[in-house]
Amino acid sequence: MSRINDVGGMAGFPAIVEEPDEPPFHADWEAHVFALNGALIRRGVYNLDEFRDAQERLPVERYLAASYYERWFAAITTLLREKGVASAEELEAPHEH
Amino acid sequence: MSTDRFAPGDRVRTRATDPAGHTRLPRYARGAVGVVVERAGEHPLADERARGRSPSAQAVYHVQFRAAELFGAGDHTVTVELWEDYLTPIEEAR
Amino acid sequence: MSGDHSSSVISAEVRHVEALLEARGLLDAGEIDTRIDEFLAGGSPANGARIVARAWVDPGFTARLLADANTAIREVGLSMAGGLQEQRLKVVANTAEQHNVVVCTLCSCYPIALLGPSPSWYKSEAYRSRVVRDPRGVLSEFGLELPAGTSIAVWDASAESRYMVLPRRPEGTDVLPEAELAGLVTRKGLIGTAAV
Repeated sequence: MSRINDVGGMAGFPAIVEEPDEPPFHADWEAHVFALNGALIRRGVYNLDEFRDAQERLPVERYLAASYYERWFAAITTLLREKGVASAEELEAPHEH
Repeated sequence: MSTDRFAPGDRVRTRATDPAGHTRLPRYARGAVGVVVERAGEHPLADERARGRSPSAQAVYHVQFRAAELFGAGDHTVTVELWEDYLTPIEEAR
Repeated sequence: MSGDHSSSVISAEVRHVEALLEARGLLDAGEIDTRIDEFLAGGSPANGARIVARAWVDPGFTARLLADANTAIREVGLSMAGGLQEQRLKVVANTAEQHNVVVCTLCSCYPIALLGPSPSWYKSEAYRSRVVRDPRGVLSEFGLELPAGTSIAVWDASAESRYMVLPRRPEGTDVLPEAELAGLVTRKGLIGTAAV
């Protein structure tokens, strides 16, 4: 079935917004996520097609609400779990209460 | 290459089947008639790679579609890079 | 999307995962910073501008660029070999008859090793959904009005090729040296949402 990423010709999205003088990454963590994905693919933990597939399998509401690199990070942690590298509990950062 | 199924100028129809998982045939181009522009290289099928498999490479082609064919309107073309598995030949009427 | 609070939350999550992977030998210390620095130093729209300027002054280079861009760009000291795998670069030339514009409707594929990161608008559902359906309207929103006689060719980066537009050389630039010509080329021109 068609997935939420397959938007060519789909109606309903807002106007295109251009950000002047946009930096390559909007926060350090985005650059880290970018580099982390490359490192894991180079090590053969998963391949690029599996990475795209993992993003596309995110629940639709979560996918649409997430920013670009938030989706990337969600896909990375999904694959780390599914490939048995770490459990969901291990991947969760301790939260301050 | 002699093993290629298609050549530049061939009219092709993309597969209409609903894909089971990850694919690189966009929905808007499913079941559409286009023209092979050129061979664009060869790669293992993304659909299979996404399942963690390592199939051998197959030809990919630049296939050009008229907007009217894809959307029923528009005077532009859309060229998509498609794996050979996504394409079926069209028997030309004489 | 990411306000201060949520940014610090995800930042902590990313750091946590990096530390976990380092502990498991799947990441080397300093590897992330090195990769980021290399990436930012390597890719840039200036690389595309240099290729375009050379094409404008040298018709032989243009022909080689359009036939086999991966090989041709080595003539100006550039390469597509910087990323995860060497991607096939396809350069498409604008003419009076045809204007080209590039998109990746399925995700955001872009020649990042050569040109650096794509702009956020290129990654957006807004652009990806509309430019295949109404490219003339989208270009108009970007301030680019094409003559009615100019057709539009949209390229959807659905497989392994990555695309760069070769804009038309602007009028009145005959006396400009190559370096100054390169200065005229914008990132949007290389994607097709600007004339140059």
